[in-house]
Amino acid sequence: MDPIAIAMISDFFHPNVGGVESHIYMLSASLIRRGHKVIIITHSHPPDRVGVRWLLPALKVYHIPFQTIASSATLPNYFTFLPYFRTIILREHINLIHAHASLSSLGQEGILHAHLFGVRTVFTDHSLFGFEDAASILTNKLLAAALKNVDAVICVSHTGRENTVLRGQLFERAEDDSSTSIVRKSVYVIPNALVAQQFTPRTEPLPLDTINVIVVSRLAYRKGIDLLVVTAPRICAAFPNVKFIIGGDGPKLNDLLQVRERHLLQDRIELLGPIRHHDVRDVLVRGSIFLNTSLTESFGIAILEAACTGLYVVSTHVGGVPEILPENMISFAKPEEDDVFRALSEAIKIVSEGRHSPMEAHERVKSFYDWGQVAERTEKVYDAVLKSPPMEFRTRIQRTMDLGPFAGPIYTIILIVECLFFLFLEWWMPREDLDYVHMHWDQARFAQV
Amino acid sequence: MPVGEWEKVLWKKQPHPDNFIPSDSFFSSLRKNPNFKPYTYGPLVLLSCAITQHLATIFTFIAVFVRLKENLLDPRVLLWTSIACFLVGYMLWEVLNYSDTQVVYGISSRTKVLKSSLLVFLALMGLSPVLRTLTAATSSDSIWAISAFLFILNALLADYSSMKPGIPSQERLTSVLSMNAAISSSVVLASRLPDDLAVFSLVLFGVQLFALLPILRHRLRFIPKIMQAFVTALISIMCIALTASLSISVSIIYAAVLFSVTFIAPALLVWAQKYKNEIRGPWDVAVPRINWPS
Repeated sequence: MDPIAIAMISDFFHPNVGGVESHIYMLSASLIRRGHKVIIITHSHPPDRVGVRWLLPALKVYHIPFQTIASSATLPNYFTFLPYFRTIILREHINLIHAHASLSSLGQEGILHAHLFGVRTVFTDHSLFGFEDAASILTNKLLAAALKNVDAVICVSHTGRENTVLRGQLFERAEDDSSTSIVRKSVYVIPNALVAQQFTPRTEPLPLDTINVIVVSRLAYRKGIDLLVVTAPRICAAFPNVKFIIGGDGPKLNDLLQVRERHLLQDRIELLGPIRHHDVRDVLVRGSIFLNTSLTESFGIAILEAACTGLYVVSTHVGGVPEILPENMISFAKPEEDDVFRALSEAIKIVSEGRHSPMEAHERVKSFYDWGQVAERTEKVYDAVLKSPPMEFRTRIQRTMDLGPFAGPIYTIILIVECLFFLFLEWWMPREDLDYVHMHWDQARFAQV
Repeated sequence: MPVGEWEKVLWKKQPHPDNFIPSDSFFSSLRKNPNFKPYTYGPLVLLSCAITQHLATIFTFIAVFVRLKENLLDPRVLLWTSIACFLVGYMLWEVLNYSDTQVVYGISSRTKVLKSSLLVFLALMGLSPVLRTLTAATSSDSIWAISAFLFILNALLADYSSMKPGIPSQERLTSVLSMNAAISSSVVLASRLPDDLAVFSLVLFGVQLFALLPILRHRLRFIPKIMQAFVTALISIMCIALTASLSISVSIIYAAVLFSVTFIAPALLVWAQKYKNEIRGPWDVAVPRINWPS
């Protein structure tokens, strides 16, 4: 497709670290490699990460001066973002915005404002949410409101797609029969990927007399550390040649320290503390089995990284994890103590009999997941969005009113006030007075110089 | 569209576009209302008896206060009634303990009960002059507002759950807060009364209604259902009768509140259940099953 200008919008971006952050960065870099222009809009990290920054390769980052409230998310305020957004979109000649993460209010507001500039919208959802607690009910409604007007939605796994369709109410009336509702056509599944070159297996094979089980995870309840705490001593008792190497930090660290003390396993369970992302490979290559005990996981990139480094994976059967690897590379357990023990014992047997080849695993994962392919598939979504007819304002209001008897009118009012505010901005900061960007980073010219 | 087997996996290159939605397997893992046990009307009415009883005691207390304030009730009568109620209640407690073989109470616990009840009795008696003048500088309007607020707090936070006999009940923070709110409310109301004896008898009555009665009521949850309904009806009729001679309109409001809590609210809950739509699926946070103790 022809090169376009894309703005990625999310609250979650570098210098924070995490799955969403690296996804946005890698996707942007791959799209730049395919000839598109990509900018990123995120909130600022005072004191030093403010204003406009450049990241390699030719990625321009706008830091909007908004306060964060919790977990690096900004408060949804709907209107204060519009002046910044308008200036950036106009001066960068953006054709399409791509918002990430359902808890990012910047992303949701970007989707709301985009229609004023004739800019099309794509949204990527990275996480799974339930439906029962008050926080989920509220954020699901916000998401449903934002997604009423989005042109396409991308989810990272099939389970994630079912979840997002339900949470965002991504249904529309069937064309032939208006009484039934069907899932919107514009909901895609494009998985994450990883840079296989960063996760190469060790060249010389590990000695077979000790088997190291690696755990790299945030030590929190949602990661199922309770299961690890009860399983590790049982495995240590049953297999005298097995050691645990646990990386990560979090509220459950104390439980691990206590269980290690109680069972006198100081030489069998090694706790490494927090690990930086570029050190993960060095930890992974020390072992031959990777254990993931998460209680919920939409994609499980850590599992892929481990599998790519040649480790045999044992994981709980939750969320999108069952979709990411073929069954002969991973053992599944129910999130129960006995079943995790069973699956881990089987894995130890498989590895000690040498039935798992790290190099082969690496090659297979490398063939499964690649950022270039992800960018290509995302590009197809962009193309479909740009070719589809834009939604009229009347349809937009109709769709918003469909939200419900209370939320519908509220969001319609927000939509109308937003349009008036936009008209005010057009008068107050005329387009002619804006500083337009005429030159962008040109890789070919840079290479020439 | 190329025809081929669609699989719910991400690692394989599928012969379908990324927005392909398999009509048969999409939402196949979705379960609706998996652990749903519908409530029935009868048991709900019985369960709501605890709330009715609690509201009725609050109404009774207010009626007694108004009577004391208007000099319609001799404080000495209230005092002797309170003491009689205490003795009856304590005997009932002992009988319940006696019939319940799991709990063994020695003589020492009885002396403890005697000691602490005497202590409360004497402390209240000593404090009543202080309590009477406690809010002399505050206008009565503020006192009505405060006590109304505290009673609402008390009713909202009260522990309506039932206690299993033999297991020492875990006092939750909210139920302690609830009791404190009611006692504070009775203290501020008592400070509006004219003489020390009235203050003393009202606070003592308040302590009995809001501190001791809930404990007894917990035990009464296990008496036969018909008895429970009878007790509830008795307290309700008492509170309405006490109020009726003061104000007919207020007693009608009380009767309406008690009736709707007992009979209409459960019906509403039963009716609202048809809107229950609990969605469960693989995205829910799994509950780890662990064989405690490890």
